[in-house]
Amino acid sequence: MNVIQTNSLTKTYNGKGGISDVTLSVGEGIVYGFLGPNGSGKSTFVRTLLGLLQPTSGEGYILGEPIGTTKSREKVGYLPELFRYPDWLTGKQLLEAHAELCKIPVRQRKKRIEEVVELVGMTGREKGRISGFSKGMSQRIGLACAILNDPKVVFLDEPTSALDPIGRKDVRDLMLYLRDQGKTVFLNSHLLYEVESVCDHVSIVHQGDMIVQGPWRELMMIEAQIEIVTDQPISVPMPTFVTHVEKIKEEEARTRWGIQLENEDDIPKIIQYLSSNGIALYEVKPITPHLEDVFMHWVNQKKESAYVDH
Amino acid sequence: MWTISKLTFKEIISKRIFLITIIMTLVFLALYGTAIYFAGKEGTQVGPNGVQGTETILVQQFISSQLLGVGLYFSSFITALLAILSSVSAISGEVSSHQIDTWLMRPISRAQFVWGKFVGLALIMIAYAVVLFFSIILLHQGIGKEWMELDIQPMQMIKAVSVFVIQPFVLIAFGLLLSTRMTTLNAGIVSIVLYGAAFIGGFIEQFGALIEKAALVNIGVITSLIFPIDSMYRKMTMILFDSIDNPLSLAQGGMFTSVSNPSNVMVWYAVVYGIVVVFLSIYSFKKRDV
Repeated sequence: MNVIQTNSLTKTYNGKGGISDVTLSVGEGIVYGFLGPNGSGKSTFVRTLLGLLQPTSGEGYILGEPIGTTKSREKVGYLPELFRYPDWLTGKQLLEAHAELCKIPVRQRKKRIEEVVELVGMTGREKGRISGFSKGMSQRIGLACAILNDPKVVFLDEPTSALDPIGRKDVRDLMLYLRDQGKTVFLNSHLLYEVESVCDHVSIVHQGDMIVQGPWRELMMIEAQIEIVTDQPISVPMPTFVTHVEKIKEEEARTRWGIQLENEDDIPKIIQYLSSNGIALYEVKPITPHLEDVFMHWVNQKKESAYVDH
Repeated sequence: MWTISKLTFKEIISKRIFLITIIMTLVFLALYGTAIYFAGKEGTQVGPNGVQGTETILVQQFISSQLLGVGLYFSSFITALLAILSSVSAISGEVSSHQIDTWLMRPISRAQFVWGKFVGLALIMIAYAVVLFFSIILLHQGIGKEWMELDIQPMQMIKAVSVFVIQPFVLIAFGLLLSTRMTTLNAGIVSIVLYGAAFIGGFIEQFGALIEKAALVNIGVITSLIFPIDSMYRKMTMILFDSIDNPLSLAQGGMFTSVSNPSNVMVWYAVVYGIVVVFLSIYSFKKRDV
């Protein structure tokens, strides 16, 4: 069963902004990245799923329940991007209030609160007033709130925005821990490296449109590129699947070349072709594209298709 | 719903403004008690050789009911202001700060949230109004000694306080309704202007009753129908000062009590008005984006 399912879900503000026509399915036990720059509609999408915003059109389901219903939020956790908690409460009181709202049995509350406080690294500090918490501590207590009810799906909206490098690593570890527990983590982020390091599946959104979605590994394969080192110039005519050849550097008697291919399957073919034409290969190295390049590739591709459509 | 009520209740108690309110209320009660003490002390000297004639009794009744009236009027005013100020930000404040996000994403409905807020606010404001009401009565009847003491039966007090608390009840419901749609500032302005209009309407009604002008009375009645606040205060004073055993009691009300007597239907109208407004708040909040 899909944990999250949307069909042409749209939320706009008087016809402008927001996010349009999002159709996606998110399975169980994965970290799903919703990647896009600031203002691309990521938070709007999550807030619509959680019933905080009314959809303009389309439909959505969480754990099979229509969005906006109380039932759809029973097994859900959420850390908002603009996290603000009542500063007159202590961290523990906040968790107790949420435990009550989630109908966690009274007998289990204390134990569960202790567990989540430990998971987010706040043990010993949960009794302090939120007004005295740093931004990072507030974000940690927010994370504790998000996972308090042992949710099946957790929405994390820019969860590391206020954290230092250690905190970021802790959150990444927590996401992977939740995934290993069979939970689904829906991660909203504009940080490419964050998405790359934890996400199994990714959607890229830009200016309110969903551009592409799929397994991150596949999305990364926007092009196949290799670097080779030869002891002579490449003078033979290149086959058609080679889209670009570029001399990168001369290194004493050898030369380093960059070769762009149509796809990954062309790598063994080009090695064979060059060898059969008497070109000795001293090194062959596949090149991983820069994350920014991957993102821009999909954004540009969408723009081009929009241009053609018009 | 109860979790939200408890949080609302706790929130008000935990804020510094609550402590300031309590201190200022105690200051007000101390001042009032002092005034009553001296009025009672001076009052006993009225009348030749301590003998109280009809005129003295009339003066005593008039001054005494005036002092009780002013105490209750000011109490009603403070309660109304606190009810307005606490309710107009109840939802709009949380929406603008996004604090509401983490509450509403829990499996509770918008209706439960509004009811929770309403019950929390109403409980604390009604408790405050009851304490203030009885503090004034106790100070007046206790410190004022025999000279200030009015003939008020326990049942009269219970009935009067029941009507007295309708005012914060209605104001909280109305403030909450505005808070579901407006910013805190706008909701506060609208509430205070309407409260002022109700006060003026009530004044016009009293004046109309005094000079027997039906048109003026009708203006007051219409104002009460739109915003049944002042009429509840007037009804409360009618209950409190109206003693069947004492033929002078009603006549001694003065400017802080009432000339016209709002009907019992008006009381029920105000209660239903408050409940309907809460339902309107739920309806208004149900479909809005937060």
